[in-house]
Amino acid sequence: MAAALRGRAGALAFFAVAAAVPLAVRDQFFLDTLILILLWGALSAAWNVAGGYAGQVSLGHSAFFGIGAYSAALLSARYGQSPWIGMLIGMVLSVGAGLIIGYLSNRLRGPYFALSTIAFSQVLLIVASRWRGFTAGSEGIPVPFRPGFATLGLGHVAWAYLALGLAALFYGIQVYLERSRVGYQLAGVREDEDAAEALGIPSRRLKVVAVTASAALTSVCGTLWAQYVGFVDPFYVFSVDLSIRFALNTIIGGMGTALGPWLGSILITALETYLRATFAGMKTGFAGIYLVIYGVALILVVRFVPEGLAGVGARLRARWTRAHA
Amino acid sequence: MDSARRLGPAQIGVLAQLGVSTVLLGGIYALIAVGLTLIFGIMRVVNFAHGEFLMLGMYLAFWAFTAYSVDPWVMLFVSIPIFFVVGLVTYALVMRGVIHASHNVQIFTTVGLSTALQNVALVLWTGDFRIVRPWHSSVVIRFADTAFNLSQVVAFLIAVALTVALFAFMKWTHTGRVMRATAQDGDAATLMGIDTDRVYRLTFAIGIAAVGAAGVLVAPLYAVYPTAGLQFVLLAYVVVVLGGLGDMVGAMLGSLIVAAVEVIGSYLFGVAWKEVLYFVLFIAVLAFRPAGLFGQRGAETLGA
Amino acid sequence: MPRRTLAIAVVALMLVTGGLLAVVHGQSLSGEYKIGVLEPLTGPLAGEGKRHLEGYEIVRDMINERGGVMGKKLVFAVADAPDPTAAASEANRLITREGVKIITGTFSSRLCGAASEAAARHNVVYWETSCVDPRFNKRGLKTVFRTEIDATGFGWYNVEFIAKHLAPRFGKKPNELKIAFLSEDSSYGQGVTESARQRAKQEFGMQEVAAEYYSFTSINDFTPIIAKFKQLAPDVVHHIGYTNDAPLFWRQAREQNFLFRAHVHAGATGYGSPDFGKALGADANGAFALLEPGPGFRIEALRPEGQKLEREFREAVQKRTGSYPLGGHQLAGGGLWLLKLVLDRARSDDPDKFRAAVMALDLPVGSVINGWGVKFAENGQNANDRVQHYMLQWQNGQLVTVWPEEFTTNRAKWIPLGAWDQRK
Repeated sequence: MAAALRGRAGALAFFAVAAAVPLAVRDQFFLDTLILILLWGALSAAWNVAGGYAGQVSLGHSAFFGIGAYSAALLSARYGQSPWIGMLIGMVLSVGAGLIIGYLSNRLRGPYFALSTIAFSQVLLIVASRWRGFTAGSEGIPVPFRPGFATLGLGHVAWAYLALGLAALFYGIQVYLERSRVGYQLAGVREDEDAAEALGIPSRRLKVVAVTASAALTSVCGTLWAQYVGFVDPFYVFSVDLSIRFALNTIIGGMGTALGPWLGSILITALETYLRATFAGMKTGFAGIYLVIYGVALILVVRFVPEGLAGVGARLRARWTRAHA
Repeated sequence: MDSARRLGPAQIGVLAQLGVSTVLLGGIYALIAVGLTLIFGIMRVVNFAHGEFLMLGMYLAFWAFTAYSVDPWVMLFVSIPIFFVVGLVTYALVMRGVIHASHNVQIFTTVGLSTALQNVALVLWTGDFRIVRPWHSSVVIRFADTAFNLSQVVAFLIAVALTVALFAFMKWTHTGRVMRATAQDGDAATLMGIDTDRVYRLTFAIGIAAVGAAGVLVAPLYAVYPTAGLQFVLLAYVVVVLGGLGDMVGAMLGSLIVAAVEVIGSYLFGVAWKEVLYFVLFIAVLAFRPAGLFGQRGAETLGA
Repeated sequence: MPRRTLAIAVVALMLVTGGLLAVVHGQSLSGEYKIGVLEPLTGPLAGEGKRHLEGYEIVRDMINERGGVMGKKLVFAVADAPDPTAAASEANRLITREGVKIITGTFSSRLCGAASEAAARHNVVYWETSCVDPRFNKRGLKTVFRTEIDATGFGWYNVEFIAKHLAPRFGKKPNELKIAFLSEDSSYGQGVTESARQRAKQEFGMQEVAAEYYSFTSINDFTPIIAKFKQLAPDVVHHIGYTNDAPLFWRQAREQNFLFRAHVHAGATGYGSPDFGKALGADANGAFALLEPGPGFRIEALRPEGQKLEREFREAVQKRTGSYPLGGHQLAGGGLWLLKLVLDRARSDDPDKFRAAVMALDLPVGSVINGWGVKFAENGQNANDRVQHYMLQWQNGQLVTVWPEEFTTNRAKWIPLGAWDQRK
């Protein structure tokens, strides 16, 4: 345990601060932002399992998110079941969907794979928005708020700790991937699939496992999100924008690193929230400026800091070490 | 549905009209896809901002028409050099830095560009839907039982002409051959003394010029608004994949196929499922023939 | 120690984040009363969102000219909500950072669900002026209210018009009418269309020959639908369109000579938007759209206090935008005025007193802006029959009010619609 924690000072700091915030701060907006940071971070970590660790960059992860959100919402609104059951069902369905994507990942590389994942998520969007009998169609599903843990009807502080627990769990999963044999094999597949195959690594199977696991984890987050925000709208939960966001946080934070997803999430979520709050009040029509800034910032960060914030941390660390050698 | 099955004169009229629709729509998709297939095929870059350049072309046509009464057909000739320059500038400022970076970096660079462009349009011109209504957008040509809209017909003809011109350029000029060589193997091309940076710059500029021109042509047919590019961009990708990367002829044929799937699928199954049809087609092609229906086998793994 | 560098950096990042978000505005200067306004100002809904905001601002100025609310000047904290997560987040921010006790908005059914949930959890009043999701008021939330009728109301009015006004003029009984439903597939389109379908079938026995949905973001060509519909020969086309697809359908229907006796829509977008007239000019003649009152509206038909308000409202809109009030202005403005009436009565934003005042409001049709009356049901919904809606028709490049006839000087023309070039 100590060995695993060595060198993880950044993560410890993050979790420590995150855990302390709900104790020190009761302001709902703060807590709301913290919860969103942790949740988006967890989603990005789930994406990271497939995208960062296995090298399968998907832009259709909203498919799994939406499955998780709908499972919980439908079961809770329509059948009065606990969203935890919805979560399990969502995971199962997402594993099925993940198998399809995994199959595609074995036949396609790079941008082709990314495009096929987009198409997949859009097919689900159309089905969800048209199948009025089952999913209430475009009108979406309002998720009832029933207080209690079993029904995930929680206050902001409870949500914060739940999200934190989720984050810690997902962080742990990523660390496991980094340090375990499976993780090393995945790294091999990611760096050079042909060489890995030559070494006897079952690359095709591994890729499918990674994608499927990623799908299940994403679905879990989708369920939680649906319960937190309280409304599932097919055009949002299956959107390409969301898929891009999951990948974005990880890339900015550092792909293939365990803390990266949350670093990226802090930056993007905070930036977006801050910019939106500051610019919305301005003269009507200028509200779009914050998104222009966001887009330009994205281009710059991705260009000049491609290894992400975690990479910057490593660079600083290396420089410090050299300076003090 | 039953009455639709019997093949009487009314049905022939319907088929003819659907056929006309398919062809006209296919031509427009081709012009949009041709720029994309060049960029994707030669530079191996997934340009998520492609739809935004289409949107900018539409706005160009709108402002030229509204402020200066310039007809879009005239504006077309001006737009090609304008967007060529826009392409050069975008390449220099945004794309050049990431051309050798990983796919993810490229994807997200163009995503950022897409967001920025959409919102620049929103801030400058508001989210109101604009209409370009030149004299020819209400002229109807009737032939037998079918009706054609003049704007659409001319857009189709020009799209075909431009695509054929591009095809000829790629096939028979020296520069075209150089571009194709770079697409096949960038490293080998460099070893042969080709300045790949120049090739990429030219490719991108041509691709953007094509889609900008498409925007100008399409403006009289559809509403102009900041997110108008989204209407066409995913579709353009389906066309490109179907037709095979970098393949002009493939892009034209792919456009016709997609248009046919849309039109006939809508007629038979209802418009609601139209996108599902071509997305499923897309996934199927990717799964079983990723090089595209007309591309070289194995092409999808090149440069990946 | 080198490894601590990253740790320090992380903590620093979080502190900066916290700092940025920590800016509190709170309830502002005494003499001002702040409410939250939540609208989509970016993203695909931005156009309508902006119109709603304009409507709010115009009526806010009218309110302040009369002394404001509860003796204080009414001011806004405006927030942008392009998607459901943002809607919930921004609602939270308005409540905790800006200290508002009342939030109004949001125009879109996608957003009102999430925003009202967030507000309800804080026991803050949520005053919806436009979204039409029928389930909005069925969640048992005591602080959530809606001034506009929902999608079922729109469908109700449309079918009312078709059955009671159009059918007799075609010389047919309602159950002899063949009706084709076409709609864009957002929650708005689906909501209105489904409720219209239901009433048409169940109450009047109309014959539904088709019901098709499409996505307005990707529809490029209506030829297949038109080809199909032509063969089904409907009398009435009930088409809920959005702003880019409506002109496309109309243009192509004309090109392909698709004939029908009437075309009915509901709402301020699509056929109810001035953009439709700009796109088609006189070619737009004949299309109907259910809306707030337009030109020809007999202000004299309103009650005296309503006349005064309506005139003032129209002048203010004309002055600010140079045009006639548009749907977005009317819904937002009308809704805000009703909020003022409640606050005048309650003299407080305490949720219980507020609610009591809401339930006590009872004004007949013709009393306020748009010729509305007001009477809220227990579930917080303003009654269908008080929120009078009107059928408008495109005549010579303008949308004019044609129904109910007692409210207007204009009359519907071209019933039934003849050949396309015969509608002058």
